[in-house]
Amino acid sequence: MTHLSKQVALVGVGYSDLSRGDAPDPRRLTLQSCLAAISDAGIAAHEIDGIFEYLHGATESPRTSWVQRALGIENLNAYANIYADGPSGLGPPMTAVTAVASGACDVALTYRTLPQREGSTGAIGAAPAVLNGPDQFTGVYGHAPGILANYALKKRRRMHEFGTTAEEYGQIALSARRWSALNERAVQRQPLTMEDYLSSRSIVDPLLLLDCDYPVNGSCAVVVTTEERAADLRGRPVFVDAVAWGTGTGADFVFADDLLYGGSIACSRRLWQCSDFTVDDLDVAGLYDGFTHLPIAWIEALGVCTFGEFGQWVDDGRSIGPGGVLPLNTSGGMLAEGRIQGIGLLAEVVQQLRHECGERQVGGARVGVVAGGGSNDCGAMIVHAG
Amino acid sequence: METQPKPAPEPDEISLPYWEAAQRGQLMVQKCASCGRGQFPPEPICRHCQAADPPFVEMSGTGTIYTFAVYGRSFSPAFEVPYALALVTLDEDPGVRLMTNIVDSDLDQLAVGDPVKVTYEQRGEWSLPQFRVAGGVAR
Repeated sequence: MTHLSKQVALVGVGYSDLSRGDAPDPRRLTLQSCLAAISDAGIAAHEIDGIFEYLHGATESPRTSWVQRALGIENLNAYANIYADGPSGLGPPMTAVTAVASGACDVALTYRTLPQREGSTGAIGAAPAVLNGPDQFTGVYGHAPGILANYALKKRRRMHEFGTTAEEYGQIALSARRWSALNERAVQRQPLTMEDYLSSRSIVDPLLLLDCDYPVNGSCAVVVTTEERAADLRGRPVFVDAVAWGTGTGADFVFADDLLYGGSIACSRRLWQCSDFTVDDLDVAGLYDGFTHLPIAWIEALGVCTFGEFGQWVDDGRSIGPGGVLPLNTSGGMLAEGRIQGIGLLAEVVQQLRHECGERQVGGARVGVVAGGGSNDCGAMIVHAG
Repeated sequence: METQPKPAPEPDEISLPYWEAAQRGQLMVQKCASCGRGQFPPEPICRHCQAADPPFVEMSGTGTIYTFAVYGRSFSPAFEVPYALALVTLDEDPGVRLMTNIVDSDLDQLAVGDPVKVTYEQRGEWSLPQFRVAGGVAR
């Protein structure tokens, strides 16, 4: 039994080439991933009647209407460009699940396209003379780029509150490379030692370079439809058991009541309320790893271990690596496969549940969790192989 | 690198009392007249009980470092590194956190939990609340 009004399935996943150093047109990347996902699903483009995407800039990704036009789709029954507030690249497939479950549309194409340059902080820009809006309370203190400071602030607080060590943060970074070594699609496949991690450049102390994800040019797409429609398709569908969003109280990236977990605790509570499964059923996890802090918070919020116990639970990385109790981000995630912001983690879990992951396949994988965001922007799904 | 002036705040109708207070050397945050709870940044409504226009109440200006980060590489020509960015809780209401720099303090010795005291820094025509470690050695 599901809490959704219609049973929903994920029937296709597709990636563009993932690259660094060049500057492919985001439209080409988007078409590559979308056409690959459509082909993987075994549907025709004209069958799509819903398109959902996420973007946080203005130009990094083509809009849904451009994709509709390029694919010659006659009309869309449901669509949204999800902007900024939302569980990042997991927002489009989650929203598509609700649209399909409600009957608003039948076959939804979802994607996230993100060029390497987007959000780049490599250049030092001119300082603004005045700051208004939220920046009058943050930017005036040099909170720029704020996202990096936010994760430095969270990391310091967690280290103080729970005694989490830098090495325990490093286990997330090291594990990503163990997995990416097994993933030919991954852009960053160099093995990593703890010494490499600890000696990586300080970005905003205590945040290290290797706490941050790996910007690439890339796009990933997922096709969502009803279980009924999926039964007619050639592939093996992956079913959606539960979707849940979460924000936490006082939702804000900086001033949230819960700086360490944001909305991940509320989101996880709701997710398990909606799910037929429990945490003990999980075979594989795709947890947002824009920064190493996030999967740590999600692991605890989901109840995989208790709050503050990640350091012991992770067992020098064994728990989350190949053969571990909860294989995490088996593509290498955003830290190593490349930053496609969440939807790539879902595509990987789908492929794990279809047993298509070759060398990195988690034996017998049947139930997976995927989570996006981790501050005031949380979303998560439980998916299963049926 | 040529140093540029640090940005000044541009108050809006809702935040104006906060900035006017700072100009007078007072740290004022909203404390709801109905439920008694505080909030920051200023809002047109109490986010706890939705009472309209929570009044601004003067704080003692003492607080505690909740967490901090130190910029060691420059991302802006206006901010000379190293500088510390912190979230501090106010002694009167540990539920209220403000963002601040930690100024006039030994950044190598900073720790979560350090007591801090408000001070003010001129930015354009406004005065910006800043915090320094209480009893810390100025340098």
